[in-house]
Order: sequence, then structure tokens, then C-alpha cells
Amino acid sequence: MLRKILIMLMFISVISLGCTKLDSKFEGQLTANQVQSGGNANTAALLSGLYNSMQTPFQDQTRTYCLWEMTTDELIGPTRGPDWDDNGVWRVLHAQKYDGENLRIVEEFKDLSGLDFGATDILRYSPTAQQAAEARMVRAFVDVLLLDGWGQVTYRDPGESVIQPSRVRSNADALNFIITELEAIIPQLPDGPASAANKNAARALLMKCYLNKGVWQSNESRLNPTFAAADMNKVIALADQIINSGTYTFTANYFDNFAPNNTTIGKENIFTAENKGGVQAGNIRSRWHSTMHYNQNPGGWNGFATLSDFYNKFETGDKRKGVNYPTPSSPPNPGNRITVGFLVGQQHDLTTDANLKDRTGAPLIFTPEVKSVEVGTNLEVTGIRAYKYPIDFVNDGGGNVDNDYVYLRLADVLLMKAEAILRGGTGTTAGVYGSTALALVNYIRTLPSRGATALASVNLDQLLDERGRELYLESWRRQDLIRFGKYLAPFQEKNYQSDNKYILFPIPNRFLAVNPNLKQNPGY
Amino acid sequence: MRKIKSPRLLSLLVALFLLVQNVFAQSVVTGTVSDQNGKGLPGVTVAVKGTSTATQTDNDGKFSIIAAGNAVLVFSSVGYATTEVPVQNRTSIATTLGTQESSLNEVVVIGYGTSRRRDLTGAVSSVNEKNFNKGVLTSPDQLIQGKVAGVQITNNSGQPGGATTIKIRGNSTVTGSGQPLFVVDGVPLSGTSPRPGVGDIGFGGGNPASNPLNFINPADIVSIDILKDASATAIYGSRAAYGVVLITTKKGQSGQAKIDFNASYGVSSIMKKIEVLNAQQFRQALTYYNVSASNDKGGDVDALDAILRKGRVQNYNVAVSGGTETGRYRLSLGYLDQQGIVRKSGIKKYTADLNANFKFLPSKKLGLDVNIIPSQYIEDIAPISNDAGAGNSLIGMALQWNPTLPLKVGDSIVNVGGNSIFNPLGVSEAINDQSKVTTVLASIAPSYKFTNWLEYKFLYSISYGSGIRRTMRDQNINLNNTNGFTGVGFANVASAEVVTRQVTHTLSIDKRLSSDLNLNGVLGYEYLKFSNKGSSESANGPSGGFGKYGLDYTNYIQYGDKSTYNISSYIDPLVELQSVFARAAFNYKDKYLLTGTIRRDGSTKFGKNHQYGNFPSFAAAWNIYKEDFFKVDAINLLKLRLGWGKTGNQEFPAGSAVARIGFGNNGNLSGQINYDNPDLKWQSDRQYNAGIDVSLLNSALNITVDYFNKKTTDLLFPVTADPNGPISSAIRWRNLDGYVENKGIEASINAAIVNKKDFGWDFGVNGSFIHNVVNGLSAPIYTGGLHGQGVSGTLVQTIQNGLPINAFWTRHFLGFDKTTGLATYQDEGNTFYYVGNPNPKTLLGISTSLRYMKFNLSINMNGAFGQVVYNNTLNNVINVGSINGGRNIALSVFKDPVKESFANPVTSSSRFIEKGDYLKMSNATLSYTIGNLGNAVRGASVFVTGQNLFVITKFSGFDPEVNVDKSNNFVPSVGIEYQPYPTARTITFGVNFSF
Repeated sequence: MLRKILIMLMFISVISLGCTKLDSKFEGQLTANQVQSGGNANTAALLSGLYNSMQTPFQDQTRTYCLWEMTTDELIGPTRGPDWDDNGVWRVLHAQKYDGENLRIVEEFKDLSGLDFGATDILRYSPTAQQAAEARMVRAFVDVLLLDGWGQVTYRDPGESVIQPSRVRSNADALNFIITELEAIIPQLPDGPASAANKNAARALLMKCYLNKGVWQSNESRLNPTFAAADMNKVIALADQIINSGTYTFTANYFDNFAPNNTTIGKENIFTAENKGGVQAGNIRSRWHSTMHYNQNPGGWNGFATLSDFYNKFETGDKRKGVNYPTPSSPPNPGNRITVGFLVGQQHDLTTDANLKDRTGAPLIFTPEVKSVEVGTNLEVTGIRAYKYPIDFVNDGGGNVDNDYVYLRLADVLLMKAEAILRGGTGTTAGVYGSTALALVNYIRTLPSRGATALASVNLDQLLDERGRELYLESWRRQDLIRFGKYLAPFQEKNYQSDNKYILFPIPNRFLAVNPNLKQNPGY
Repeated sequence: MRKIKSPRLLSLLVALFLLVQNVFAQSVVTGTVSDQNGKGLPGVTVAVKGTSTATQTDNDGKFSIIAAGNAVLVFSSVGYATTEVPVQNRTSIATTLGTQESSLNEVVVIGYGTSRRRDLTGAVSSVNEKNFNKGVLTSPDQLIQGKVAGVQITNNSGQPGGATTIKIRGNSTVTGSGQPLFVVDGVPLSGTSPRPGVGDIGFGGGNPASNPLNFINPADIVSIDILKDASATAIYGSRAAYGVVLITTKKGQSGQAKIDFNASYGVSSIMKKIEVLNAQQFRQALTYYNVSASNDKGGDVDALDAILRKGRVQNYNVAVSGGTETGRYRLSLGYLDQQGIVRKSGIKKYTADLNANFKFLPSKKLGLDVNIIPSQYIEDIAPISNDAGAGNSLIGMALQWNPTLPLKVGDSIVNVGGNSIFNPLGVSEAINDQSKVTTVLASIAPSYKFTNWLEYKFLYSISYGSGIRRTMRDQNINLNNTNGFTGVGFANVASAEVVTRQVTHTLSIDKRLSSDLNLNGVLGYEYLKFSNKGSSESANGPSGGFGKYGLDYTNYIQYGDKSTYNISSYIDPLVELQSVFARAAFNYKDKYLLTGTIRRDGSTKFGKNHQYGNFPSFAAAWNIYKEDFFKVDAINLLKLRLGWGKTGNQEFPAGSAVARIGFGNNGNLSGQINYDNPDLKWQSDRQYNAGIDVSLLNSALNITVDYFNKKTTDLLFPVTADPNGPISSAIRWRNLDGYVENKGIEASINAAIVNKKDFGWDFGVNGSFIHNVVNGLSAPIYTGGLHGQGVSGTLVQTIQNGLPINAFWTRHFLGFDKTTGLATYQDEGNTFYYVGNPNPKTLLGISTSLRYMKFNLSINMNGAFGQVVYNNTLNNVINVGSINGGRNIALSVFKDPVKESFANPVTSSSRFIEKGDYLKMSNATLSYTIGNLGNAVRGASVFVTGQNLFVITKFSGFDPEVNVDKSNNFVPSVGIEYQPYPTARTITFGVNFSF
């Protein structure tokens, strides 16, 4: 009897357990079918996730910021004895000697391409017209950077498997795609707010496309760009549409646009990434941490510096060089020291105004001189330090600071309009800003928030300098220098004309290895 | 119970009983049991076969038992071969028990069954209790360290309860842990430690891992069998590529109940220090390097000494065992309290093992085995991190500490520091980090013997582990450098839960097919389910801090700063593994042995195009000494073995085959998070093995030599994915082209050189010579990520064609320029070269034991030769630049004839590669057998054990036997030292006895 029971039990257990169908089960993540079944609420969630995915590529110091700034006359990442060698990854950026293994270039190319994928992937979940337009705007925005940096933009169709290599659009093809996309989606985009893709953000981006059209036609055109009047007039027309929307006004303080509460007071901002203090933010605090000295408040990483040649482009009294900008919970700053902008010379304790010292006990005096490799005993203090986001002392420790990251703002639009006029476009009147390049430039310069004097005249070189002064460290410098033919030219701590190949970043070798559609840029 | 009502049945039973009684009269049988040297063996169980009658031998090996004239006596004792002797109407019996190793009848545990050693066809090494390492052992793998040819067991660090790296037959691990599969009494383990990780607490996150085997008390283990070649491991299929280690726990013996007790007490201290400047040298160095004299703070301290201590170790084990022919049991309890040599570190372990084996029915055909192993271990974890910056890990802080700057004034800690310089004593005080892991491994296995050659067994097991970790940082520590919070404190509570369920059905066959041919086989089905989940909560203190009340902040975490709350939970994708397997072993005349196995594994981890895989093996052996033509008296065993097999490895993150969409903050979806790959399958290993076993001079000399050739293909690897894909992932798991080949020879020789009554000398040596090469990869793989100042993103190891796996690949250092003090490199450092092999070419284990009267001295040494170690500590913690910042540097830097310039950029190079050859006196035990004390206490002995007494090496770090986890992108590193937990030297005194 027992034997029969046992055999029965054995039989039952083998049957019940022995024929398990092996299906993957995920209890902490979703499958595509589960996302699809959630409808437009899920598409909205994906879109919101997409905006968050832009945080690291644009706000961390290791991505767009260092590639578009440290490769220029505005920023350097010196090796300071035992600190900041990091396998030379920073040095080669400023020296313009990067190669296809450079980690900064690898990560940025991957992240921007990943954003292209993420934006495209939303389109397969039946989004609303506005959701689709916002996703396509984000895609166009990152595609512009890929086109600008590498001349090659990877893409896929919505729903395409990631197993196959993605396809590639190059130079003029990529630009045409972006322009077509932007023109198509503007009607579906909302008017605001600045923290989401909106009509004026798309227009400002389209301005960049037309302004750089002569640059991005081919690999060769980047070295000798030509500018068509028709394109310049498009730039001007788009600027006027933005101006005439009446959405933006100049702020009382230049740094209001970057302040912790810039969601409210940053009236010049057209397109931003909203950081919510204490809740959720990108690593925008790295702008000040990456440059401030260890012994400052808050303690920094004592890394990046700006160059004195660039600093000297500002006239005395230009408030864009820096001000004391109190923010909630900031120390009393009895000496009224500069707390945002450029930090030069002796630094002070913001509570007692005592002179600060470096870690060796020497006075903490930021010197104008800075070298790519610092060798002296003063290696901790060399270089002028610059950041333009006022420090959010309330949330700095927690990491989620409140300062929204600024992608595009009104001053850039006006300066692009001025440039388009200088490059053969026809001046128009819109708003209160004048119809000539000089009027536009001087309008900005003489704003009380800037406090600079009016220029007597403006040519392209002066306009480039003005773009530097107005938009420094906003990650447009590399694009501007290329358009003005100055990128490869010598500048401080790079005393040579760079090889022509450095006009484009190399396609990272590891991606060439996995995608035969990508071609290495010439010279690498 | 039903009363027996029928008088007829009762009388029949009585009659039958009397009949049995009458046929063979019961009489008293006395006798002596001795060992091979003629010495009386105490404590041997003497049982009458088929009855519950049993006794034990006394101190002189004498016994007395009542048995029938036709009965069979069974003599058994741990460490000796069980022997059966028929009484044959004798009243006095003298017998000798052979030790198990020399016994060809020794039973070896193999997958899903057992085999006699002489029937083995594969490469299987067994270590039993008698030969285990002695001393303070926290996990079972330490029992066999240095004992087995071809098996390299490396303590990753000196942390009590820390993980070990086990490599069986060389390194073929491109990704994953590379650890063998552990099977405890038929239950395969998942290898996941339930100790939760903790994020960055300002002093790095990645603490050295905890050993997933900590839950087993080494004192409960009777033997460990290591399946090395694929013909032996293939029965474990897709998880067997790195070998299989079978752990067998002690079981009750039939006979009188007995209590075994042992206790030990020991003290640990640091084995070897890293040399940095003392206060006097530091002052000289300030002048020498022209650094401001203000860095001379007037004191004289040794910061490393300040955070080290003498670690106290206590260990108590008690076991009750006994049983009858139909029911045996063993219950053991163990307690270990091991203080680490670093302040506020250590492990407390509470273990138990309850097992019982029953036989039911008059026929005893129905069996039931029950085994429950509950445990709890509490680890105090010091803030020593694998990946923190130099100043943010306790050991680095101590090495860098300015030796002229006082750590304490009176009892109060001074100069607590901030930014990147911290008082290590202050940090040690400020960090409380305690993990408590509770586990239960329970199995129940009913079996039924249909006939004497066919048995069915069902095994259900559940392995449950749950860990809670509470971590706090006192507000005295001001970490404004890393997170801006000026001294408010931090608290983190994390939990994890790891569960494995198993169902196994086996049908075992042991049938004599003809008079000369025997078939031993097994047929089985197995289903395993693995799950892993957890959660964590953390917060910084509120403005003003959590408070200075001396309370643990994790007790009131909710009163922290709300804006810093961090809550998370996770569950890994469920993994299911379903398999069928079979083995057939044919034995013809004990001369020709042939074994074939096959396993078919299906796993939810694999892609849908490759959900099932087959893992076959074949092996043959020839017992030459059994041949008629073989007539060499001196040789009592000569056996040739040949084997081939295929195994797999499925260590990659579950869910990699399928596209998954993740959740994001604030109700967002983060989009697709992984590159799916429906073609993903197991990594494949095929291995040839040829071996020879020789026993000479009546088993006084045993030699085993094996040649192996292992080729690993379809390497599982997270390749760089197409850039246009999920932003949160840069990799796609796939099977690479290319292979890793390990081939080599391993040999072990064991000799009983002298074997007299009062004096004996045994000597054993095992060695392995391994050659490793990688080929066919389409692109090099890099790993070995350095940490510390100035080396972010620096990888110093490569897996590439033509080089050994994990070859060091960096700048070639040519020496210093004497005038500038700058380092010079081949091709100015622009080109990287192959500069060293971290894999030992030769592994050596030496063990010897000397016996004189009642004294026994056993010594084990192990060594590894031909490998190099990368000194990341010297590179990035105590380099010359440190003194410019007022911190300490290595003595070797100061003593270098060339004055290194501060301007010399900190960068990786062959300068920091050191020879890693070592020979370590890992274990020496002197014991004295007291014997019986009165009537109650039996088999008493006392011992003293020294562990890590010394190491012979040129390596300048704490210990050349080191493997700090420097993995990159799932690719493990080998042989990199980075400010690790130092290795301890331990002296232990102990006592063993039984009741």
C-alpha cells in the first residue's frame, strides 16, 4: 500500500513540477507590452523619463560641458600633482589631442545616441501629437550636438530591435533631417513652459541649424564655412518670432537666469532642464564643485580653471565677471566677496572674511597663470576659477540643487540675430532690441544687469568675443569657435595650430567595432 | 495504536522470536580494535549489523558486545574505513582499521551519488576531517586551503568572514565570480551572500565582500570533495565550469549517544606591515623635499597601530550524536567570536546543524534524511573600501596620516580632520557598520529502495538567507568635501533576502549485470528557483545633526533631514533552472571502468533561441594492477584515467536576454534599460583530463598526477553595444568569439615516511603548473580599475589574444630621470605594454605531520610562484605627492636614491608591479592526546595552532596573497592590492573531548 502511495506521490510530483515552462518573470521592471497597455499616461511617464535622461549628458562636468568648453579658450583641466591626472583625459581636451579612446568622448557619444534612441522609442507607444512632438524636439536637440561634434548621427525607426546596428546620417543629410523635423513639430509643440520642449525652443534650435548650415554641410565645410544670405534671413525671421512672442525679458541680475530659483526669476530662459531642489536634479552642482578649492565653502574638487586671456576679454565693471549673489542659507559674506562668476586672487572665508589657505598652509590665492601640468609647490592654487550658477547652499549637501540647467536663452537668440545680420542677413526690427548688429549687441552690453559700455562698432571678431562674454561656460563655445574659424587656432596653453582632423571628435573606436555604418572621421 | 487481539498471531510471533534466538545463541564477544601501527583505537563504534546493538571501544581500543554467533560486527570511526567482521561463533575478535585515505574502498562523494575511490574515472580530490586545516576558520573553504593540487584559494583580504577567490585549474573567468559550485549534502548553493551592500557613506561603498559560505560551521564538516575535471563535473551542467565542491556534513553514527566538545581561544595580530615614514623620518623628509616645516606637528604617532589591535578569538562547538540502525541523529551547536585586528571589525557566528537519518518499514526500504542548518552571523565592518579614494578608506587614512600629528590627547580624539584628511581613529570611532545575516538551509529527502539495486530519492530543499545592515556615520565627521554636509551624521538601514528552492528526483541503480560487469547509474530531474530582493533607507542628519547622545542613528533615522531621504527596493528577475541528467558507470572485472554522463539544462536566463543546453562527458579508467600480467609487489595500485567533458557557466545578470523597461523618479518610466539578446546562452567549457594514480609499499606512498586541458569558449561578456540604444546601459551581454585555454599538470604525493608505534612522520606535497592563454578575441577587454588620487578611469589589466588572462597592460617604467626626478617611460608613456602576469605559474602546498608518543605536530605551508601583484596602494595612497599635502609616504619612496619630484604625474606604470611569489606558513598545530579521563571523558586532547606564522615574499604590501576587487564592467581583476584589510597572524589554544 505504502509503496503504491509513494509511487503515486512521486508520479504527481514529477508531473506537477517536472514540466515547468521556463518563462522570464520580472517583478521589478516592465515589458514593452505592459508599457503599451498603459496608454498615454505611460507615454507621458516615458517622456518625463526622457527629460531626466538629459540630466547627466548636459549637467555633469564629464559630458557636454567638458567637450564643448575644455576644448576651447574658456576652460582647462590641469593636472595638479597627484590630482586630476585621470590618465590624461582632461589634458588632451584642451590640447586638442584627443583620440578614439578618450573616455569623455566615448561617454558623450553614447549618451547623446542613447537619448536619440530613447526619444525615438517613445514614438512606438502611440503618443499624443504633443508628446510625439516633444520627444522629436529632444531628439533634434541631441542630434544637433552629435552633428556638431562628430558629423554622424545614429538613428533607428521606432520599435526597431537594438540587436542590429543602427543606421547613420552624416553632415548635410543629418542637418536636413533635423530641420525637417523641427519645422514639422513646431505647430504641435506647446508655448511653454521653458522646462519642456516648446515652440520657441524649437525655433532657437532651428536658428542654430541655419546659422551653422554652412559649417555642417560636409567634413571639409567645417574648415571653411560659407554662409548663405537666405539661411541668415531664416535665422533673423526665427529670432523675430521668438522676440515677438513676448515671453522673455531681461532680468535685473545677469545671474538670476542661473540662480537656485531660476524656474521663476530666470526670465531670459527659453529652454531649461528643471531641477527640483531637494527632490530631483542633475549634477549641475558640479559646475561649482569641479572648480572650487577644497578649503572653500562648499568644499570643491579643485580641478578646472579658466584662462587669463579669456578673463581679460571682460572690461572692468562688467558685472558678468562676477558679483556677490546671496542665496538662501548662503554665508553672510561680510567682505562682499564675489560668490558667482570668476574667482581671482585671495579667497576668503565667507563667514568671517578671514583669508583662506590651501592644504599646504599657503594663502589661497587663485593666480591668472595656469598650466596644463602643474609642477610647482603652488599647484593647488593656480588658475582663475569660474562658474555661473549661484550656489544653492540649501540643497548642495543633499545633491539635488534647485538651479535649473539652461539650454537656450534670449541673449543667445539676439546675438545669433546680430551675427546673421553681419553674415549677410537683412536687419529687421523686432521688440525693443534694434535692427542692427551693433544695436543688438549694445542692448545686451548696456543692460544694468551687464553693466558694460557700448561698443563703437561690431565686426565678427568682436561678436565672437561678445558671445564669449555673454555665454561663457554655457557649452556653446566649441560650436562658436568652429563657425568663426578659430577652433584650431592657438590659444592659451595650446600654443599651436591644431591638425585639421580635430575639427571633429573621433568616433570612439569601440563603436566603430560594433557598428559598420559608422565611419571614422578623417585623420583619426 | 491498534492492539494485537489475535492470540494466534501473538503466539506465532513469540515462537518466531524464540526460534531466532535458538538457532544462534547470543554470547559476549570481546576484542580489540587497533590502527595500522597496532595502537588501540578509542571511540570506535562497534555495532551488530542489522540490530540496534552497539557499543564503543575504550581508551585502549577494547570492546565487549553481545552478538549472535552468525552476526556481523561493523566497526566504524571517523577518519577510518568502516570494516565488517563476521563473528563466526568466536568470542574474541581483534581487528585493524585502515585510515580512509589509504583505503581504496574509501567512499568519495560525486554528483548525485557516491563512488569507491578505486572506481573513480574522473579527477576528484577529497579532503577529510583528519586533514583539514586547523585553527580559527570562519568558513569551510578555509579547511582545504593549500591542500588540493590544482586548487588555488586566495583570501581576498584579512577581514574575518571575508570572501575568498577559489580557482580550480587556473583562471578562465572573463566575467562573473569564477567561483566553483558549492553543494552541501546534495543542495547546490546560489553563491549569493545575503549581506546587503551599503552605498557611499563618505568612505567608499564597496567593502570587501562577505563569504557566502559563512553560514556553515567548519566543525560540522566531515569531508570536502572537489570535482576538478569535466568528466566529473558535467553532471552539474551549466553551472559546473569552474569546478564543483561537494561538502558533506557530519552524521550521527549508530551506537551510544555521545557528546563531542571543543573549545579554543586565540589571539590575532597583524602579520606584516606596510612601511611608511615614522615621525623622525617624516621630519627628515620635510626638509629633504623642501616642504613647509609647519607640517611638523611635534608629535610621534603610528596611525596604523592606532587602528589595529590584538583580536580575541573564541570558538566553542558541541555536538550530540548517536542512533540505532534505524535512526541516527546529530545535533551540533557552534559559537565563534572572532575580533578582527582592525578596531570595530569582526564576526560573531551562531551555527547549528541538526540532521537525522531514518529507515522505516520492517524491510527498512523507506528512508528519510532530514538536515537543517540554521545560522546567524554578525559582522562588524570597518570602513575599508575596495574603491574609495586614498583618504576615504580607513587603511589609507592610517598609512597617510602625518606621523607627527597627534591622534589623541588623553582619551579624546583630536585633529578629526575634514575634506580629504581624516583622523583614522576618529573615523573608526564615527562609523558603526553592522550586518546581521540569518540563514536556514533545510532539506528533506525521503527515499525508497525498490530492490537491492534500485533506489528512488526525492530531495526538497530551501535555502533562505536574510541580511540586515545598519550603518551610521557620527556627526563628528565633517565630510564637506564629498557632500557638503557639515557634520550632521548619516544613517542607512538595508536589507536583503536570498531564497533558493530545489526539487530533485533521482533513481539510482547499482546492478551486477553479469558476474564480471557492474552498472552503477543515476537518472534524475532537478528544478531550482533563485530569488534575490532587498531594500534600503538612508538619511543625513537634520541641521545640527542627529545629536551627540551616543545613540545609534539607525535607531531614529526618520528624524534626519527629509530632503536627503533615500529609499529604494529591488527584486532581481527570478531565475529558474530545470534539468534532467543521467550517469552510467560500467565496471568490468574491476579492471576496466567506463563512465558516461549527460545533463540537459534549461534556464530562464538564456535567450529564447537557446533555452536548453546539453552537457555530456565520458571517462575511462584502467586498473592495471588488477591485470594478471601485473606482478609488482611494491605497487598496490596503478590506475590510468582519461576523461572528456563539456560544462557551462551561466553567470550573467538575469533578464539580459529580454527587453525591460525600468521605473524612474516621480512616476516616470526610464525607458528601455537593457540591450536584449535572444541569442544569449551559457559559456562553454570543454576539458580533457589524463591522470595516473599510483600506490606503493602497501599504500605508504600515494602519487596522483593529472594533466588537464581546459578550453573555455562562447565567453559570456558585456560587449560595448551599439551607441543607439538604452541610455542607461552601455553594454549588451553576448557570447564572444575567442577562447581562454588553461592547461597544466597537477600532482600530489603523500608519503608515510615513518610509521612506528610511538613515532610517525607523514609528508605530503601538491603542486600545480598552469599555463594560461587567451586567443581569438576580436577586441581586447580591459579591467583592473585603479583607485586613489589621479587615476580615475585607469585600467591596468587586459584580456587579449596571445597573453595570459588578466595580463597587466600599462606603461613601461624605465626609471627616474636623476636631474628632474620625473619618471621616464618607454615611448614617453604613450604606448602600453604587457608588463606582468598576475596568474601563478606554480602553486605549491606542503603538509607534514610528526607524531611522537602522544604529541602530534602538523604543519601546512602554501605558496604561489611566478605571479606579480600591482601595488595600487603605493601608486596612489603613499606616493611622493602625499607629503606635499602634509601626509605620509612610503618608506621606499623616501629611501629611493633618486629624489622623486612632486611634479611627477601620478599615473599607472610597471613601476608599481612587484613580484608576488610567496611561501606562507599558513598553519602549524601541536597537539597532545590526553586520552580518557576517568569513565566519563574520552579522547581528550589539547592543541595549539598558529596561522599565518610567517610569509616569505618580496612584496611590500601587507600580504602577496591578495585580491582586492577591482573589477570593471563585470570583468573581475586579479592580483591588485589596494589598501586592504591586513592579514592576521593567529595563535589559538584549544581542547577537544567527548563524553
